[in-house]
Amino acid sequence: MSPLPAPPGRTAPALPTGQVHRIRGRLVTVDQPLRLGAGGRRAAAAVQFLRECQSHDLVVRWIPATDDPLFTGPAHEVSAIAGLLRHLPAPGPLPGEPPELAVWRDRHAYGQLHHRRGPDFVTVMDRREPSAAARFTIDDPDLLATFRTVQVPTAVAGLSALGREAVGLLAAERLAWVTGGWVVALPPRIRRWPVPCTDI
Amino acid sequence: MRIHLVTMPWQPIELPSLQVGLLHSLLDRTRPDDEVREFHGSLRWAEFLLDRSRGALRPGDHVAVGSESIFDGLGDWVFSGVLYNDPEWGVARLKEYATRRGTDISTATAMRVHAEEFIDESAGAILDDAPDVVGFTSTFMQNVSSLALAAELKRRRPGLTVVFGGSNCDGPMGHALHRNHRFVDHVVRGEGEYALPALLAHIDAGTAPADVPGLCWWDGPESRANEEPRRTVAPGDIPSPDYDLWQAAIDASPLVEYVHPKLVVEGARGCWWGEKHHCTFCGLNGSAMTFRAKPGTRLWDEVDRLVRRHRILDVVTVDNIIDMAYFKDFLPLAADSDWDLRMHYEVKSNLTPEQLALLARAGAVHIQPGIESLANRTLDLMDKGVGAARNIRTLRECENHALTCSWNYLYGFPGETAEDYASVIDQMPALVHLQPPGGAHRIQLERFSPHFADPALGFHRRRPAEMYRHVYDLPEEQLADLVYLFDTPPAGIGGDTEARLKAAARDWYTGHPASTLVLEQPDGADGEEVLLVHDRRHGWSHRTHRLTGWRAAALRHLEAGRTRPALLRLLSADGNPPSAGELDAWLGDAVALGLLFDDGRSYVSLPTWHVPVRSVERTRGPDGAADGPSVPDNGEKAAV
Repeated sequence: MSPLPAPPGRTAPALPTGQVHRIRGRLVTVDQPLRLGAGGRRAAAAVQFLRECQSHDLVVRWIPATDDPLFTGPAHEVSAIAGLLRHLPAPGPLPGEPPELAVWRDRHAYGQLHHRRGPDFVTVMDRREPSAAARFTIDDPDLLATFRTVQVPTAVAGLSALGREAVGLLAAERLAWVTGGWVVALPPRIRRWPVPCTDI
Repeated sequence: MRIHLVTMPWQPIELPSLQVGLLHSLLDRTRPDDEVREFHGSLRWAEFLLDRSRGALRPGDHVAVGSESIFDGLGDWVFSGVLYNDPEWGVARLKEYATRRGTDISTATAMRVHAEEFIDESAGAILDDAPDVVGFTSTFMQNVSSLALAAELKRRRPGLTVVFGGSNCDGPMGHALHRNHRFVDHVVRGEGEYALPALLAHIDAGTAPADVPGLCWWDGPESRANEEPRRTVAPGDIPSPDYDLWQAAIDASPLVEYVHPKLVVEGARGCWWGEKHHCTFCGLNGSAMTFRAKPGTRLWDEVDRLVRRHRILDVVTVDNIIDMAYFKDFLPLAADSDWDLRMHYEVKSNLTPEQLALLARAGAVHIQPGIESLANRTLDLMDKGVGAARNIRTLRECENHALTCSWNYLYGFPGETAEDYASVIDQMPALVHLQPPGGAHRIQLERFSPHFADPALGFHRRRPAEMYRHVYDLPEEQLADLVYLFDTPPAGIGGDTEARLKAAARDWYTGHPASTLVLEQPDGADGEEVLLVHDRRHGWSHRTHRLTGWRAAALRHLEAGRTRPALLRLLSADGNPPSAGELDAWLGDAVALGLLFDDGRSYVSLPTWHVPVRSVERTRGPDGAADGPSVPDNGEKAAV
C-alpha cells in the first residue's frame, strides 16, 4: 500500500465552555437560545463564546431567546447592542424578530473588529461603523493587562482601581462590553486571515 | 557635514523608504559626526494634494497615479512640466497617447497643476536646514520629481552637492541620468553601502572621486563614469534600517487616518534561481544577480526590533526571492513568536505544502510566488524551472492554508504558439475556485533581462517605451540608455488566442469569490475509502461527487501532481489497480468534470480541503454554507 499524505488539518479550536454546542467542520450550532439582552455574567459569557468562534473563523448558527430583551426590548436598546456586537456572528432569522437583528445580519463582516497580538502591545482595528473606522494600539501596561484579563468575563467589582479605570477607557472606545457588573473584551483575535488578507 | 536624504513621489505613502532607512543607519555608523536629516517628499506630496485640492485628491489617487500607471509614466509626467520649466511641456503628447490608448489621465492632470508649487515649497523646506549634501533615492517613477527638486535646489544654492542613487541609476541608466542633467553632481550606480561613504570622504577632502567604483562625477564639463564595482555588498555590511524619522513624519501627518503603515525589511539581495537560470523576461535584479542573504536569526532580530519600536505588525519584505534557509530559522522564529504578523514575501512557486504551511504559521500570509503561466511550453521558454501542475498545486495549497497569492498571467514570449494555450484556456473555468491572476498581460522588454541582453532570444527590434516621450525631453539615443522599459514588436500569441486568454482570466476573476470545490472524507465508510467532492463553482453544476476505491486513492495521489505512469505505479502498489483503459477513461472524465488539471505532462487534483474566508461571506452572512464539510448537500450526487 503506498502511503497517502494526511490531508492538511485544522487544529480543533478550544472554545469557551458554558454554551452547549455542536461543531462540524467550520459550522458551530448552539443548541440553546442565547440571552445577550439580559446582561450580566451569562450575557458576557455568550459574547465571549461568539467572539472566540469568530476568532477561529467559524460559522455560528444561534438564535436569541424570544423573551430576551434583545428580542423584546425597545428598538434603541436592541439597536445599541446589535451595533456594538455587529462584528460577531449574527443570530439566525426568527419570525417576529426586531428589524435591528436583520440589520446585524446584513452588516456583519468578518474582521470588522479584531485585535492582533504583538510582543508587548496589541493593535485593534474597528470598522463596525465604516464612516468612523478607528485603529488603536494598546501598549500602556495597565491597560494591556486589563485587556488581557477581560478576555474572559470578569466582575468589575473584583478589579483594582487601575483595572476599573482601564475598563472605563476600553468601554468608552467600545472595545469592551460592561453589562450588569461584568465586563468582557469585544475584539476577537485574528487567527486566520481572509483572502485577500488586505481585506481587513 | 549636514546630509539630507530625500525620497520623492511616488514612494508608496504607507511604507518607509528602505533606502533612506538603510543609508541613515549606515551614515550614523560610518560618519557619527554628521547630521543626517530626511525629507519624505512622497508623504508630503500626498498631504499637499489633500490640502490644495480641499480633499478631492486623496491617498487613493496617489496610489492610482504613483503605483498603477507605471507602464504609462503618468507619475513622472506630473512633474515633467516643472523639470522643463514649461507647464505645457508634454501635455499635448500625453493627450494624444492617452486618446489612442484609452488611458484615463484626469487624476494625473488634476495633480500636475500643483507640482510647481510643491517643488518650490519642498526646496525651501530642505534649504531651511542648510544641508551640505542632498541625496536622492530613485526607483520606478521617482526620477522626474527628484530631478525637478534637484534642479530647483541647485538653482537656489549652486554650492550644494546633489547625489542620486537607487535602482533607476543602475548601469548605463545612471550614467545617462548624470550626463543629461548637469545639476546632478554625482550618481552612485549599484549598491550604496561602500560607495556613499567613500564619496562623502572625497567631498570632505575636496578631491576627485575617481576611485569610487561605479560613481559618475563631473570632471569639468565632462561626465565621468567610473568602472562599476565587481564586488557586491556582503550581507554583514547591509545595515538594519532606521525608520525613526519616518515614524515621526507619519505620526504628524493627516494621512495617518487614510493609510495603514507597514514596515519594510530586507533579508536578501539578488536571486539564487537567477544565478543559475535567469528568467528570460526579468530585469528586477539589475546588474547585481549574486544572491546574498542575512542569516535568518539576524533578520528575525531586525523584525523583532522594528516591531517593538514602531508597534507595527505588518511587514513587507523586498527580497526578490526568499532564502530557502529561512524555512529553517527565520520562519520558525516568526511562527514561535505568537505575534499576529502579516508579512508579504516573494517566493518560488515550487514550494512544498509543508513549506507553505510554515509560511502561514509564521504570518507570511501574503505571497507572490511568480507563477506567471500555466502552460508548460511557455514556462520552459521563460526558463522558470517549474511546471504548470506544480503552479496549480501551489494555488491549491494557498487555499488550504489561507495564503493570499498575488500573481499575473504573462504572455507574449517569443516562440510560444496558440497551441500552447489551447488546453490551458479550455481548462481555466475549472480553476475558478483557486485564486485568480490579477490579469493577463503581455510582457514588456526590461533592461537587464536575458530578452534585453540577447536579441537572439526573439526581441531583435526595440526602442525606449513610447511613454517616455511625454516624460523626458531627451533624444532617443539618450533615452535608450536612461530608461528601463522598451517597446518591441509583439511576440508569441496574439489575435483570437490573446483575446480568449484575457477573457478567461477575467471570467476567473469575477467567478472566484463565490466558487468552492472542497473535499470531504466522511467517517464510517465500512473500511472503504470514500471521498466526497462538493462542487460549488461558478459556471459548474452544483453537485457532490462520490469517489471510492482506486478512484478516491487516485485523486489523493494526484494532489502532488503526477504523470500517468507514476500514478499507475502507485495504484498498483496500493493493490487492485485499474486496467490501463479504465485509468485513461477515468482521467479523461475527471478532467472533463474539472476535478483534475492536465498540463500535458502531469495531472494534478483541483479540490481543496479548506476554504479561506473570502469577501463573498461578507455579503452572504453566516448561513453555514461557506465551507466544504459544512455545505448542505443540496446538489446532485454523482459517482465519478
